[in-house]
Amino acid sequence: MGEVPALGMVPSAARRLGDLWRRAATGPLPSVVGAVLLMGVLIAIIAPDPGAAVDALVTGSLTGRGLAESLQRSVPLIGLAVAYAYALRAGVLNIGGEGQMVMGALAATVVALYVPGPALIVVPAAYLAAALVGGLWAALAGVMFTRLALPIMITSLLLNYPADSIASYLVRFPLKDPTSSMIATPMVPNAFDIPPIAAVGSVVDVRLASLFGVDSPILLVTRNVNVSVVFVLALVVAVAFVNSRTRAGYETGMLGRNARFASYGGVNTRTTTLRTMVVSGAICGVVGATIVFGSQYRLIDGAIVQTNYAWTALLVALLAGSGSIALLVTGFAFAAILAGGAALERSTGVSAQLANVTQAAIILLVSIRLALPTSWGRRSRSSGTPTEAEPVP
Amino acid sequence: MSFGGIIDATLVAFVLQAIIPVLLAAIGGLICERAGVLNVALEGLMLIGAFAAVSTSYFTGSWAIAVVVAALISGAASLVLAYGSVTRKGDAVVIGLTLNLLAVGSTGLLLKALFGVTGILQSDRIVGLPSLFGPIDPSGIPLIGQALATSTIITLLALAAVPATSWVLYRTTIGLRLRGVGENAEAARTLGVDSAKLQYLAVIVSGALCGLGGAQLALGNVVQFAEQMTAGRGWIAVVAVMLGRARPYPTLAACALFAVTDAIGFRLQAQGLPSQATDAAPYVVTLAALIVTRRHFRLRHAYA
Repeated sequence: MGEVPALGMVPSAARRLGDLWRRAATGPLPSVVGAVLLMGVLIAIIAPDPGAAVDALVTGSLTGRGLAESLQRSVPLIGLAVAYAYALRAGVLNIGGEGQMVMGALAATVVALYVPGPALIVVPAAYLAAALVGGLWAALAGVMFTRLALPIMITSLLLNYPADSIASYLVRFPLKDPTSSMIATPMVPNAFDIPPIAAVGSVVDVRLASLFGVDSPILLVTRNVNVSVVFVLALVVAVAFVNSRTRAGYETGMLGRNARFASYGGVNTRTTTLRTMVVSGAICGVVGATIVFGSQYRLIDGAIVQTNYAWTALLVALLAGSGSIALLVTGFAFAAILAGGAALERSTGVSAQLANVTQAAIILLVSIRLALPTSWGRRSRSSGTPTEAEPVP
Repeated sequence: MSFGGIIDATLVAFVLQAIIPVLLAAIGGLICERAGVLNVALEGLMLIGAFAAVSTSYFTGSWAIAVVVAALISGAASLVLAYGSVTRKGDAVVIGLTLNLLAVGSTGLLLKALFGVTGILQSDRIVGLPSLFGPIDPSGIPLIGQALATSTIITLLALAAVPATSWVLYRTTIGLRLRGVGENAEAARTLGVDSAKLQYLAVIVSGALCGLGGAQLALGNVVQFAEQMTAGRGWIAVVAVMLGRARPYPTLAACALFAVTDAIGFRLQAQGLPSQATDAAPYVVTLAALIVTRRHFRLRHAYA
């Protein structure tokens, strides 16, 4: 009777607890904590009044108008991150989202300004044009990989520059609004504006006001966040469906895990890579259109690039991988950091770049796994994002 | 608007100015590539160097100290890549990309915190790099005179770095070992070569070279710091290494291709072509060069 059950249970329970803790610890949590600590240290050094700075950071991102701002900013961030994550799942590192987004925004603006017809037809046509042109721009990098074995990471990035130039040239000369002092196209017709979830005085708005009271933060959100939030949720669901339930999604996943095996199994690696790039670019293009129709209502020279969403979204995708919940949570968190950073700059004069530093620090810490003993880092790496894809034979 | 008319002393001077930062970063990238570390952080390391150079020059009033500090700070920043990819075996591409973004963020943050400005820092207190020839004015020499007059100590260093790198890589023990580590780290280790140490060395040297490139950009070509002033030059350097297949002289040629396109574009702009048409030219030409010389280059640990 030396075997006492209770004694046997202790190590197993401890192991289970240990596993749980290890899973949390090998995840991004310690890195996030580390980066937030870094942010705190930076604020303490730079800000004249650290307390006010932290207050601005929190209220500017999580309360009332700040929350609305965070939600609105998470639309392009999550949208682009979904595009990147979709490509990453196939082992394709598309870092040309900026150019694809700009081309999409350009196409949508041109359709909105110059194609006559009822809004019911022209509005969808504008988004379609954005998807098409964004997808084609990405396809350039895709073809250069499938035909010439040029790495997509390099070509997609280099293509950002001509995209920015083409858009900038068109906005400056042929498309310029002569009556405006801004370097921008004319305003797009009102029919294209993406409406808020519930505009002030609309039926839903009145209903919400009577339910929650006029001062409720819910109203701030429904009045200030536009319905592109719905688009982005639908996008996340659609991509999750494609990834987990369709042949195309199975093939991209297989390609990302092991290109040679996928090829052996009958996956046409060329078509799959190219298709992945087109889908990724099309999503970026539509996101570009939502920025034009949702917040700027015209194409302003350089304004899409200046948002820096393309790069922040890459960090979101690298951190979240292709999991839907992870993308939504990370996308919102990074959007909140951006919104908080902007509020910080407005109220204390600390640069909004603090947000970018914090975000980059999170990803650096995760990819280096600074907070962990080496053995754990190695253990979890095997389940990380795909790091190698064979050039197509 | 004829092409014959734009090849003159000004163009030569502009080519020399345009090539130096890219060349320094490319040599850094080349050394890393030879050591088996894909360094895509050249862009960010150069930006950090530019900021370090300008702020040091601002506070000390000495361009010499500024150059040294730029090399040191960028070298130190590159330790993140070395530690992450060599010691922790992290993904060099992810670390490199993130380091670039960290560079943009931290230089912008410090620009505001130290100088209270956003965008561009210009000041009389920033001491630029002096001409290499000191009081002698060589600009009377036809064709290359103007280029010589705008040359700095970093111009000389960069041009000397090409044969020096070639010599170290192919004629010295450390170069042989470095190439061995890049070809097959495992095999090199078996022969008693400390591969990690050599890879650290390669990454730190590349960081320092990028720092010098940034210093030339911000204290030589112009005397100011602008946010994101590297404007893709680090990426051009990455491509130059690919085009030159990580060999010093072909990489120099690839950098020259970029610089000449940049310079011609700049001249055509002066003759009335809109800047949007010429701004993207170096990137399009680089892309075209990749397409023409396809297949034979190598890019380690590459994603699709």
